[in-house]
Amino acid sequence: MSSEKVRRKARTGIAVWDEVEIPQRRCAVWRFAPRSIWVERVDNEWHALSTPYGGSGAEAAFVERTQKPTSSQWRHYLHTENAPVQPAPVLPDRPVVVRPDRSLTLLPGENALFFLEIPVWFRLSCAGSRRIRIFEEPISTLSQTWFGDPITGELCYGLATRLHQGLESIEPSAFRAVCPLSITNDSETDLAFEKICLHVENLSVFRSAQRLWANRLNVIFKGPEQATQIEIVHAPPDFEDGLALAVGARQPASGWNIRKTFSVLKYFTDF
Amino acid sequence: MGLSIFQQIAAWFRSLSPDILTKGLKVALTIVLGLFVARLLAALTQRYIMKKATPQRQMIVRKIITYTGFLLVLMAVLGELGVKLTALLGAAGIVGIAVGFASQTSVSNIISGLFLISEKPFAVGDVIRIGGTTGIIQSIDLLSIKIRTFDNLFVRIPNEKILTSEVTNITRFPIRRMDITLQVAYGQDLERVHTLLAEIARDNPWSLDEPEPVIVFSDFKEGGVEVLFGLWFTKTDFLNLKNSIMKSVTSRFQTEGIRFSSARRVLSIEGEGDPDAGG
Repeated sequence: MSSEKVRRKARTGIAVWDEVEIPQRRCAVWRFAPRSIWVERVDNEWHALSTPYGGSGAEAAFVERTQKPTSSQWRHYLHTENAPVQPAPVLPDRPVVVRPDRSLTLLPGENALFFLEIPVWFRLSCAGSRRIRIFEEPISTLSQTWFGDPITGELCYGLATRLHQGLESIEPSAFRAVCPLSITNDSETDLAFEKICLHVENLSVFRSAQRLWANRLNVIFKGPEQATQIEIVHAPPDFEDGLALAVGARQPASGWNIRKTFSVLKYFTDF
Repeated sequence: MGLSIFQQIAAWFRSLSPDILTKGLKVALTIVLGLFVARLLAALTQRYIMKKATPQRQMIVRKIITYTGFLLVLMAVLGELGVKLTALLGAAGIVGIAVGFASQTSVSNIISGLFLISEKPFAVGDVIRIGGTTGIIQSIDLLSIKIRTFDNLFVRIPNEKILTSEVTNITRFPIRRMDITLQVAYGQDLERVHTLLAEIARDNPWSLDEPEPVIVFSDFKEGGVEVLFGLWFTKTDFLNLKNSIMKSVTSRFQTEGIRFSSARRVLSIEGEGDPDAGG
């Protein structure tokens, strides 16, 4: 693949996730705000490096080896098969606790549909006879957070984001997956959500012509004392046509799940 | 020419009466079979019945089965040799009292060990602090626990001591809080200090943003205001957080011109420099 072809495809943004062949002793770079992923093929090794990137949007290009960054952080992966590589957007490897930018209260009996943007990770796999995962790298660094009480809770990523109520306000992105979230307050109490824990490791990523999508989630809140019911809709979200599966879920889940999803209690009031 | 060793042994066997020979064979068979059965039973129990039990429970059950087996084999052998067990048990009672006095500590340790196993304050692999010793538990046995300290020393602590001491299990819960006590000099902008510490915690990749960091101006000290800075972290990130946070606090305070308190003492000797005191 010539560098011209790579650049032309990169202008479409989402095309950075297309399969690409990296010839021996060539260096490819995927640039996403705020990180660049550098990949180089040398003999039987893949060399990878993640560096900060100040630009915007997403693009992929080949660069001269002389232009690659000098760093002791390069990681080396031994893989003998000579085949094209498949970059793929995967959701983070731990649940994500979403903190909405504004306090929102869902009154009893109400239902609302929100769209959340979840930053994806970059996964590079060998597209040969055996689809071997070479490495994964977060594109955005999310903070670490704890959801639940300090004994039985779980380690998650924290994400402060806006709860979009329509797609118009979401700028298409090649490195943020849109997750449709339908919430029903099936209780007698107000649902004021400060935090929502999404088990994104159970979600697949789909791609359309201009953006990434995650599975739709239907959440039914039964009350603060009861676990929340969550349904993962396995079909691609129906808000856009022509969606294709980009990457399957890390841990596929089936049917309804019952989990603690909302944090309405404050566990730490003293020191 | 003297007889070879094998010929001597053969001659000795021939000199034995058939009765003694039969007894000897029975004893040998009892020992071999008995020990084999005891070990087999212990192995089977561990593999099939205690499969899901903790390693220390498996170890205890294995030892109980093996030692009971040994005891039964010993009794069977003694019975075969014609030793009267009633007389032996009577003698054992007297010996037992003597041994009991001598092995009080061991028995106490064994009983403490059983309590520890049932109470389960820690497990193999946990990091505990007992007295001045902190380390990773290697094994929990009937008499003692074995710890490997972080500077790679092997420490054996008798169970009795553990039962009567305060033990801190550092890694029992998945997250914990690191408390750092700072002292900022009087006259510093405490509001600014609070904001800076919150930013330092937020920017640190190993500090959890929930539970929220604790920032408390806790006391007026001799040299300045004492600040408690508590950061929550997952138990595996202790060193990363400790090192990074100490560096961040120092550099950010330096950049922002926040002064740590430094203990200063002004000594004035009575009479010296006092114009009224005279020569």
